[in-house]
Amino acid sequence: MADASTLQSGPGRRLRTPAVLVALTCCLLVVLALGLGLGAVRVPAATLLNTLLGLDGPRQDFIVLGSRLPRTLLGALTGAALGLSGAIIQSLLRNPLASPKIVGINSGAAFAVLLCAFLLPDAAARLTPFAAAVGGVVAGSVVWLMAGRLALDAARLTLVGIAVGFVMEAGVEFLLVTQTGPEFSAPLVWLTGSLWGRGWTHLWSVAPALGGLMALALLMSFRLDLQYLGPQRAAALGVRLGLERGMLLVIGVLLAALSVGVVGVVGFIGLMAPHIAARLVGGRHRALLPTAALVGAILCAGADVAGRALMPPIEISAGILTALLGAPFFIWLLLTEGRRPGAPR
Amino acid sequence: MRQVLAQDRPLGEGAAVLRRAALPCLALLVVLGGCALSLATGGRSDVGLADLSGLFAGSGATLAEQTMRDIRLPRTLCAVFLGVNLGLAGLILQAVTRNALAAPGLLGINQGAALGIVLGLIVPALAGVPQSLLAVVFGLLAVAATFAISGAFSGRIESLRLILGGIAVGALGFAAVRLGYTLEDDLARQVVRWTVGDIGGVRMPEALRLGATALLGILAAFGLAQRLNLMALGQAASHGLGADPMRTLMLGAGVASVMTGVCVSVAGPIAFAGLVVPHLAKALAGADHRRLVLVTATLGAGLMAWADAGSKLWPGFSEIPVGVIVSIIGAPWFLAIVLTRRASSHG
Repeated sequence: MADASTLQSGPGRRLRTPAVLVALTCCLLVVLALGLGLGAVRVPAATLLNTLLGLDGPRQDFIVLGSRLPRTLLGALTGAALGLSGAIIQSLLRNPLASPKIVGINSGAAFAVLLCAFLLPDAAARLTPFAAAVGGVVAGSVVWLMAGRLALDAARLTLVGIAVGFVMEAGVEFLLVTQTGPEFSAPLVWLTGSLWGRGWTHLWSVAPALGGLMALALLMSFRLDLQYLGPQRAAALGVRLGLERGMLLVIGVLLAALSVGVVGVVGFIGLMAPHIAARLVGGRHRALLPTAALVGAILCAGADVAGRALMPPIEISAGILTALLGAPFFIWLLLTEGRRPGAPR
Repeated sequence: MRQVLAQDRPLGEGAAVLRRAALPCLALLVVLGGCALSLATGGRSDVGLADLSGLFAGSGATLAEQTMRDIRLPRTLCAVFLGVNLGLAGLILQAVTRNALAAPGLLGINQGAALGIVLGLIVPALAGVPQSLLAVVFGLLAVAATFAISGAFSGRIESLRLILGGIAVGALGFAAVRLGYTLEDDLARQVVRWTVGDIGGVRMPEALRLGATALLGILAAFGLAQRLNLMALGQAASHGLGADPMRTLMLGAGVASVMTGVCVSVAGPIAFAGLVVPHLAKALAGADHRRLVLVTATLGAGLMAWADAGSKLWPGFSEIPVGVIVSIIGAPWFLAIVLTRRASSHG
């Protein structure tokens, strides 16, 4: 997250923001195109274009339109949601080390989805997004309530979040070993965070909700600047932040939880995207939020593409790649942020 | 030093004597009860404690006696020794980091060791190296990384950064483990079962390896006990009394990594045992590490024996791996510690 000096950025930054957004959008488009072309079967660019325009045969249709297009779009969508969620949560908690994973939302959503899948196997497919949302919100609320006065003690909140996450993970392990028979591996692939086997139905099951929440978050982004000042200073300026704060938190939690519900725990995107975005455009949230969403989309869709392209036909789960990238990033943050005055300890 | 610790005991003389006598008896009962239950249960209901006698008589002729000798006994011993090793590793780590939340699993040692083993399985060049050695080496690397992140080598460990660093190192190690079994399909099932801490397939050689480690670990912990006590007084006091805290840290991390690494190579990464056991021991036996070593070892053995029995007694079509049982106990415990800790103790 940006510190106070980048928050009050000069006009130079303001000019740069649109350029950054355009560049990132181009980057995302490239990743999406790669996502359609790369994999166990390589589709050359010309064929790809023909297929998208509807000029090619049914074989490419099946691979490109039926399988890769929804999957890549879903990767970008959930990545954007996770990036936004991370940016919102880091700002509200004023904690650069916070992320949906660290505060226990991901594990809560995962636990709820598994519970739902084992208790109601028939209705599981339809209920999954709902279960994920409930699980994420419950875990988030538990962390919130247990940590108490959360804005004032970032360390305590983080530890409580980690602890609640551990409890949820223990529950996930328990469900996995008691409830699954031979078909052990499907939930396991999902738990490592993978877009494998995701299609149009998955995309449509979360796209409206995620789209709506993201739009709402972007609309409210300018309010985050006030939130970032902290409750006391905002109150001194005559702004009441309670309700908005709650709304924004719920939006942040829901964005992450719904994403987990459909693609599993793709970790560290919510942590990395806001930091990268803050380096690019500074800390004003009207610029930061869309940038974080784009960065998140690139990271998630990119991890999926890389996982498919690195050693076909083996697919490496996107969650593994984001963790391999994100864990060192997190360590680097710990080493640098911790040394800064005013950072949470 | 000795006087200081003696004065630490607030109890009267009579109560202290009673407590000193009651505690070992109670602990021993717990361990024996857990072992008996663990030995008496299993897949074959016709195998019971009575078959243990055949072992000492040296016959081992009947099927029941063989089952007891080759399957039940190694497994129970394994659980007991796992408890000793992990409990002591946790005790040492909590002392050297002066952090109640430290444990092998939370500082990344478990995951580092797991990575070492997976590397041994998939990298041809490492094929000849013993798994325990790889586990220990990578566990050491992991804990060194976590300590470096937390600032331990520059003299002051920050509590939150220690835990977050451990989580980051652990996440990295575990992502690499998962990458490993994505690449090697045959491994997947084996590794998955192993990563949740399953000791169902353990045989005598592994159990004895754990036992030897446990014995050496207890001796090493006794050797370190005085230093650990000094650490509790603070770095400066420790320095003043002639024990270099940095050296204590290194020695402690080394001993803990060896014990954890061997455990992981046998049973997979069992989380939270190293967290819970030392806390229980401290609640029962106070703060003197010379006493805590034995109490922790006993309690660890007891806890794991009971957990193993529980894993076999679980009413379902398959056993719950003992690691999962420990997690179900340990994760809420971690939460409870976080919640009850004073906000001021973040140092």
